[in-house]
Amino acid sequence: MPLPTPEHILRIAPTGTQRATLLFVPPLFEEANRTRRTLVLAMRALARHGLAAVLPDLPGQNESLVPLAQTDLHRWQEALAEVSATLDGPVIIASLRGGALIDHRASAAAWWRLAPIGGASLLRTLMRARVAADREAGVTSSLDSLQAEAATAPLLLAGNLLSPAMMGQLGSAAVEPVAPLRTVTLGSGADAIAGTPLWLRAEPGEDGAMAEAIAADIAAWSQTCGIS
Amino acid sequence: MTAPDTVDATLRALLADVLGLGEARAAALTDDSGLFGALPEFDSMAVATVLTEMEDRLGIIIDDDEIDGEIFETYGNLLAFSLRKVTD
Repeated sequence: MPLPTPEHILRIAPTGTQRATLLFVPPLFEEANRTRRTLVLAMRALARHGLAAVLPDLPGQNESLVPLAQTDLHRWQEALAEVSATLDGPVIIASLRGGALIDHRASAAAWWRLAPIGGASLLRTLMRARVAADREAGVTSSLDSLQAEAATAPLLLAGNLLSPAMMGQLGSAAVEPVAPLRTVTLGSGADAIAGTPLWLRAEPGEDGAMAEAIAADIAAWSQTCGIS
Repeated sequence: MTAPDTVDATLRALLADVLGLGEARAAALTDDSGLFGALPEFDSMAVATVLTEMEDRLGIIIDDDEIDGEIFETYGNLLAFSLRKVTD
């Protein structure tokens, strides 16, 4: 059997000494595409704070050669644990949205989560997109009929072919406790970042000011955790 | 219970977030403004995202069988549906 192809990892490092490595866990499915540009801008900004950052492809996502139907949340958790083990420490894990559902099995010195979301909510949106697309095509489907279909065979949801295992895990996935952890939301206040919820956006956009704010918040959090 | 003008403002902000309309375009939406089929950004994925965000931001639960194509035809229809849901 051929060895699996290693997944692509985007890496942006400061020119001088690096204080730590940020492991970015992107949002899941289409939300990853909508936020990638701003995430990479945040990685560049982090380099100016003296922090290296990596953004790995999850198996079955982005440029990965693995068929999405062959992956599930457990495999993603394992993949991140493997990436984390290869990084120059200390490692800080920064997850966005659904990325927070798969970031707890990797070892790290600290965690940072932006706008984490439960798996059930993600799954519901994907299934609704399928129902809406079916309705447009004159086909009648419902969340219940799709759920039944998904029990035995991979189901195509908004362009994502999801295995029964993935569907089952997503339906019950919640963010797991990790420590030390800082969770921030979008908005104003002490535990918030000003910006736009690009992950909701129908067409990709970017928010440079939000990228700077993400980098500054992570850099400050790393110092609070004694990583300097 | 959410006040009617709050529902209107929440809905406009939500559509601005999902469709990338910008504040000016979102503020200019009238009851007759077309949504699904009229705005190119408003595809089936956007419909799904709008529904989930409506639930989160308005504190409502939307059942599968309450949704038909008409709700998304115009801004006025979507607003009327939302107002009905929050006063239920």
